[in-house]
Amino acid sequence: MIIVEIVDSDIEPFVSSNNQKEKGAELIFNGRVRETEHGKKIKTLEYEQYEGMAKKELINIARETKKRFPVDDIFCRHRIGKVKVGEASLHVVIWSKHRKEGLEAMTFFIIELKKRVPIWKWAILKDGKKIPSKCNHE
Amino acid sequence: MIKIKLKCFSQVKYAFGKSEISYELKEGTTIKEFEKMVREKAKGRLDDVSMSVAINKQYISNNAEIKDGDEVAFIPPVQGG
Repeated sequence: MIIVEIVDSDIEPFVSSNNQKEKGAELIFNGRVRETEHGKKIKTLEYEQYEGMAKKELINIARETKKRFPVDDIFCRHRIGKVKVGEASLHVVIWSKHRKEGLEAMTFFIIELKKRVPIWKWAILKDGKKIPSKCNHE
Repeated sequence: MIKIKLKCFSQVKYAFGKSEISYELKEGTTIKEFEKMVREKAKGRLDDVSMSVAINKQYISNNAEIKDGDEVAFIPPVQGG
């Protein structure tokens, strides 16, 4: 199963389960906002999306990930709008039979997300200025 | 003439101070010609910005001809996650 959501408030983690009989690995990734952006201290990041295209690209990547790796479920929530330092901007859960394919799928999914999904960060600096972030680590 | 919409994000939005700009272009204008025009209008503010292209919310990799009513976005390096 694939679930992809773009949300504009705190990310609610996907519900875990103790009742999976064939899924031996549950991988959880949370991406969080760091205090320093490009060497400058920030207060908040503001995530901007290309509405419609960002979600479509996330779904495409989830489908490609499932084709490439034998995983059962990919759940993803990406936050947009203002996200404070320390808060989660991305939450991904992948369920698979074994850990190896789950770990590989998680790596692939996140690398592709960072290459293709039209979402951008604006840094809100301590002095209140808002500038496009130059940070695009793969 | 054709009428199109340019969607602006991140550094493109910063360069123009707008999230959307309408243009009237000659029929047959290609993406590369339009990109050159947009970069010139940005007066140097997009010189060091590499950009992918999306038409109607779909990435394209060729030098497509822009059609009447298209929504074009020059996509600066993305930063999700």
